Amino acid sequence: MAQDPPPGSIVTPDWHRCAESKDFFDRIMHKKKRKQFGLLESPMMAPHVAVNTVHYKVLLSGKSGVGKTSLAARLAGLSIPNMHYETTGIETIVLYWPVKLKENGRVLFFRLQLWDCGENALRRFDHLLPSCKEQVDAVLFLFSFTDRTSFDDLPNQIARWSEPSDRVVKMVVGTKFDLFMHSDVTQREVMQFQERQGLPVLRTGAEASDGLGDVAYFLNCLAERLWHQDCMAATLDSCPTHYREGALI
Amino acid sequence: MLQDGSTQILCLTANSGVPLFTRGASKQLPFSVIGSLNGVHMFGDGQGVVLSSSQTDCGGRVVWRVFHDSVMLIAVNGGHRSGGAVKGHVKGEELFLERLLENVWNCMVLVLGRDELTNTRNVERLKKDLRSCFGLIDQLLEDGRQGIMGNLTHCADCLLPPNPALVQEAVNGFTQSVDSEFGCLVVHGCIAAATEKWWRLAPQEVVLLSALTRMLSASGSASCDYPVFLPQGSPTVAHRLLRFQLLPGADVCVLCGPAPSLHKAQSDLVRQFWSPLAETLRDCLAVGERCLPGTVALRVPDVLALLVVNREARRSVSCVRASADDSPAPPSTPRCWELLRLFYIFAATRYFGQEEAPVSGAAPSEEKAHSRSSSSGDFVAGFSHQPLQCYLVTEECKCYGLQTQQHQLFLLTPLSVPTFALRNVATQTLSAVTADTGF
Repeated sequence: MAQDPPPGSIVTPDWHRCAESKDFFDRIMHKKKRKQFGLLESPMMAPHVAVNTVHYKVLLSGKSGVGKTSLAARLAGLSIPNMHYETTGIETIVLYWPVKLKENGRVLFFRLQLWDCGENALRRFDHLLPSCKEQVDAVLFLFSFTDRTSFDDLPNQIARWSEPSDRVVKMVVGTKFDLFMHSDVTQREVMQFQERQGLPVLRTGAEASDGLGDVAYFLNCLAERLWHQDCMAATLDSCPTHYREGALI
Repeated sequence: MLQDGSTQILCLTANSGVPLFTRGASKQLPFSVIGSLNGVHMFGDGQGVVLSSSQTDCGGRVVWRVFHDSVMLIAVNGGHRSGGAVKGHVKGEELFLERLLENVWNCMVLVLGRDELTNTRNVERLKKDLRSCFGLIDQLLEDGRQGIMGNLTHCADCLLPPNPALVQEAVNGFTQSVDSEFGCLVVHGCIAAATEKWWRLAPQEVVLLSALTRMLSASGSASCDYPVFLPQGSPTVAHRLLRFQLLPGADVCVLCGPAPSLHKAQSDLVRQFWSPLAETLRDCLAVGERCLPGTVALRVPDVLALLVVNREARRSVSCVRASADDSPAPPSTPRCWELLRLFYIFAATRYFGQEEAPVSGAAPSEEKAHSRSSSSGDFVAGFSHQPLQCYLVTEECKCYGLQTQQHQLFLLTPLSVPTFALRNVATQTLSAVTADTGF
């Protein structure tokens, strides 16, 4: 893939803190919590504000127990399960995230569908992996700071994705960063890994706040890369792939 | 009584007695107790006796069951219980625990498949694999607290939608479009509509799939593709359960083969079939926990809670009414659910027979023991006729049970309703529920 954009060069960082964004973020909030959207729903804007929605499929990949389900719930603002249950198939979560493009000041709703599939299920049932790979736009490779083997397993995880076209955004996410007391992976190793693989590494942990602040950086980063990838693709074959709906209903 | 928190499930390998897992209580039983519970069962086995249940002095109860000669499940219910006249009905508790064990076994088969459980070469691996069933098993243990009766009755919990024809048509159409014959719409965890084939699955399977849907729905996920084994219909070959959350609280499920992929079904078919029905679905959601459409008129102050079972179709509707301002204060909603469960157990085991086919999965000798123990109590055995109605007056509420060819009604009323009027209230309630809705 072509060079990654430097963070903050495509979308306005911390836009959720600006007053002008309130109207947009209000649409994804309900009683100070993130709103849950069924498949038949989407954020509703006033009729005169035309906002495009772009759809993306994002896969979470990583060893059993690294926190794929938790990360998905966290990004979507759902309650994070307090007990670890294995995901015994594919589960997807849909979230909407408004983004302001720096270039022209346009606002877009990113509709991210996060695909989460338990590792053991993947191993036992052959049909799940192809289903996960189908038309995927981004893969997040997860490792846990408290589980050394999950970090060592990353190259294997990434290797699974070597063959398809390079129109897949790849990012590495370190989970359970808050448990640094029990950290099994040093910062230096992460830096080295980042350099060697040429992939960005994000860190998450269970911070106490439940506002938008703790996911905004993450989601903006992801949105930026997805958008950048689309723009690159569009210049190649002049057909933006992810516009689905004109206006929101 | 039957405080679900105090019920514990133990799972061991049947021949070697290696503990595989425990679920259900915050404080596990000590290993030595688990060992003894297994040992006493094994001792009986050596003497040619099947030990199926036992009771302690203070009302605790233990039920054993071996499945396919490979896995032993033990349910332990602690003895501390709250008051109430229905309490301590020993036979009933046994029914509850037996069904629980059966449900837990079915959970294990649903997630792992029967082969995985019966051909165990490596116990450590099995132990690890079994962890993937915990979510569903815990959901089952949790369900009782949330007004779900199906685990106990083995009749699917239903919700009667205000616009059944429209919903039914959509379910049929959508199911067909994914090349399947098995589909259902689940609203608030209860089945609002299902295809004919879905209803032909074994009742336990329908109940279990509903529980799985509830679990997946509660996590807030938008769609799922879950491999499931059907404990009766297909214990060794997995099917795919696709589930789509149309609106929060309203899910459509289909059982299908290799095609279509989740991505395809979701992006092409879901909107096509369900977008026009968004308002209808909202109406279904508005029915809420009442489970009955607004057109069904209940005698408001006289009905605290009700459970109607369609015996043929093996479906049920149940609801607890928001308590009217009554004096003395009626029991709280959770307590009403508990009382309804207790009264069901009481009436179903003591007076009304259970027409359930013996459960496959047990060894033949055990099946006999099982059917002997759960055939309706000694009362029925002493008579040549079937009781049709029964009532019970307790300190908290009055209860009335009614049985017809097709239905069973279990009704709770406040103490203020005169006992002589109970029958009237019951018959009127049953016809109000069934006449309009065709339930």
